[in-house]
Amino acid sequence: MLEIKNLHAEVDGKPILRGIDLVVRPGETHAIMGPNGSGKSTLSHVLAGREGYTVTGGSVTFNGKPLLELEPEERAGEGVFLAFQYPLEIPGGNNGYMLKAALNGIRAYRGEKELSAVDFLKLVKARVKAVGLDESLLNRPVNEGFSGGEKKRNEVFQMSVLEPRLAILDETDSGLDIDALKAVAEGVNALRDDTRSFIVVTHYQRLLDYIVPDYVHVLSKGRIIKSGGKELALELEARGYDWLTSEAA
Amino acid sequence: MEALERILADLAPAGPHAEARLRAAEQVRAHGVPSTRQEAWKYTSLASLKDVAYRAANAADGAALDAQALAALPLASASPHRAVLVNGRFRADLSTLDALPAGIRVHSIAAAAAAEAGQLAPVYAEEIRPEAVFTALNAALLDDGLIIEADADAHLDAPLHLVFVAAGATPLLRAPRVIVRAGRHARLRIIEEFVGQEGDRGLTNVVSDLALEEGAVLEHHRLQNEPDSTAQIGRVRATLAANATFNSDSVTFGGALTRIDIEVALAARGARCRLNGLFTTAGTQHVDHHTLIDHQVGDTHSEELYRGILDGRSRGVFNGKVLVRRDAQCITAHQASNNLLLSRQAEVDTKPELEIYADDVSCAHGATVGELDTQALFYLRSRGIDEAQARALLTYAFAEKVVETIPLDSIRHAIEERFIGAGALSELEALLEQS
Repeated sequence: MLEIKNLHAEVDGKPILRGIDLVVRPGETHAIMGPNGSGKSTLSHVLAGREGYTVTGGSVTFNGKPLLELEPEERAGEGVFLAFQYPLEIPGGNNGYMLKAALNGIRAYRGEKELSAVDFLKLVKARVKAVGLDESLLNRPVNEGFSGGEKKRNEVFQMSVLEPRLAILDETDSGLDIDALKAVAEGVNALRDDTRSFIVVTHYQRLLDYIVPDYVHVLSKGRIIKSGGKELALELEARGYDWLTSEAA
Repeated sequence: MEALERILADLAPAGPHAEARLRAAEQVRAHGVPSTRQEAWKYTSLASLKDVAYRAANAADGAALDAQALAALPLASASPHRAVLVNGRFRADLSTLDALPAGIRVHSIAAAAAAEAGQLAPVYAEEIRPEAVFTALNAALLDDGLIIEADADAHLDAPLHLVFVAAGATPLLRAPRVIVRAGRHARLRIIEEFVGQEGDRGLTNVVSDLALEEGAVLEHHRLQNEPDSTAQIGRVRATLAANATFNSDSVTFGGALTRIDIEVALAARGARCRLNGLFTTAGTQHVDHHTLIDHQVGDTHSEELYRGILDGRSRGVFNGKVLVRRDAQCITAHQASNNLLLSRQAEVDTKPELEIYADDVSCAHGATVGELDTQALFYLRSRGIDEAQARALLTYAFAEKVVETIPLDSIRHAIEERFIGAGALSELEALLEQS
């Protein structure tokens, strides 16, 4: 599904990713862990197509397509979804309308018929409740006045409506209390199946108690320095990152 | 302006105000057309009008449009009470004023009986300031327009829709005047909508004089949607007695050059006004709003919000003056001007002006100029919304703050249609509200 080969990227001339190799197959959940500044968020943003990152080497293919050559909206059309660490507030932008535009944008990309407002509402109403958000959220400005937990739930809600093939969760656990964390994890787990893949980027192992990964990778200084199963996360929790980063150095 | 000199020289008014009109013409000659050396016209040059061969619109020009042609124009609003002026002339045959409730009367100035014509006396009595020379020009050329009267306690449910049509094969100078008197505790809503036929190169010089007696409430909606080839210089003046309320929104989409002055005199205690505006420009359009809120006495209140969205090489101007007179205590006056530049070549000049001669006042103002948030743009695109639509969505979101304050669906829908498509959002909102 996703194949990252020797990916190098820089920001403002400063190398951040220095040779990432990663293969994610359908149905797999990969956790990317690492200390601050290791390049975790950069990897998420490069995959989603954010401006300001220069890919200086390597390749990323997604279902056979060269992902890095696609515009952000085309990547969404292909089935990539990035749950933001800091979801943007858009005062005056209506949540429901934004989501309808997104869903119909993706459907248009895939040559599918647009959903009417009525059909769209039928679809989203059940899903908004599933993530523990009130239906009235649909008629509110995008993330404006939302608590940190509500914003993250809104990300998971959007994900549940857009049904991506690959979802990248960028430090979705940051700033969440344990109840919000559980709710977000439940929302994610409800979406897991044999075909949908996840990349869960996190600093702490805590999230991985609730979203149990198939693989754990440790990122340091722009490289994956260790990969393992879910038990690697527990080891990191117990020992920190130092033993690995000093080993790698 | 050579054409203007010729128009004034040819002026041969008849009727009870003939002399006064000639005096007004004299004032225009004396002051001349404003130049950018005058503070009030610093950012708006009238040079582009200089070589246009204007001629004064006459009665025949007012007959230049039939019902079918009117129906083809993009009118945003509709109401059972409609008065149509074509090239400044009232057209009874295109208007529907039969269903007006008791106590509310609408007359054309041209057809007004002598008694009603007495209401024009103040039009000619005023001393014109040099920067307001176009108001004198309007008085000099005043052949037609509307007199709208609401008796005490009269209440108009549906809006009174005034349609100003620009339809000139040759560049016409149109000078309609609207005179409104809202009696004690009268309530009414007036839409002034300006439209025109493609390619019209005329100049609409319109003045609205609004008088609100004690406790009267007037909602005033102004939609400037003339073709991008037409020029407009307009003035709206409102005078409020005690506890009167004036709410104004001024939305400008069209016009090559638009200059609108909105002046509100809060002349007695308890008077309050809200002035909102939204303009969106592209190409080489130029839109200038000058507002003046004059807090003449204490316990008067004003709110003002103007937002501009500028694309292409267009230019926007907002000058918002708030004057608090000596010892006018217990005043609140809040003003904000926010502008969004969609292109590097677009330019906006925004200038809040507070002149305060009292100490117990709560006044605030703020002005901002910004661009679309690239992070928000990426956020939307990462969800599958293409760039053009994401930009439109964010632009509409910027306009929304003004939209939500406009208490008239048709205007809100016109704005929605312009940015994101007809009904794109309102249909969904309506469904959500039902559930």
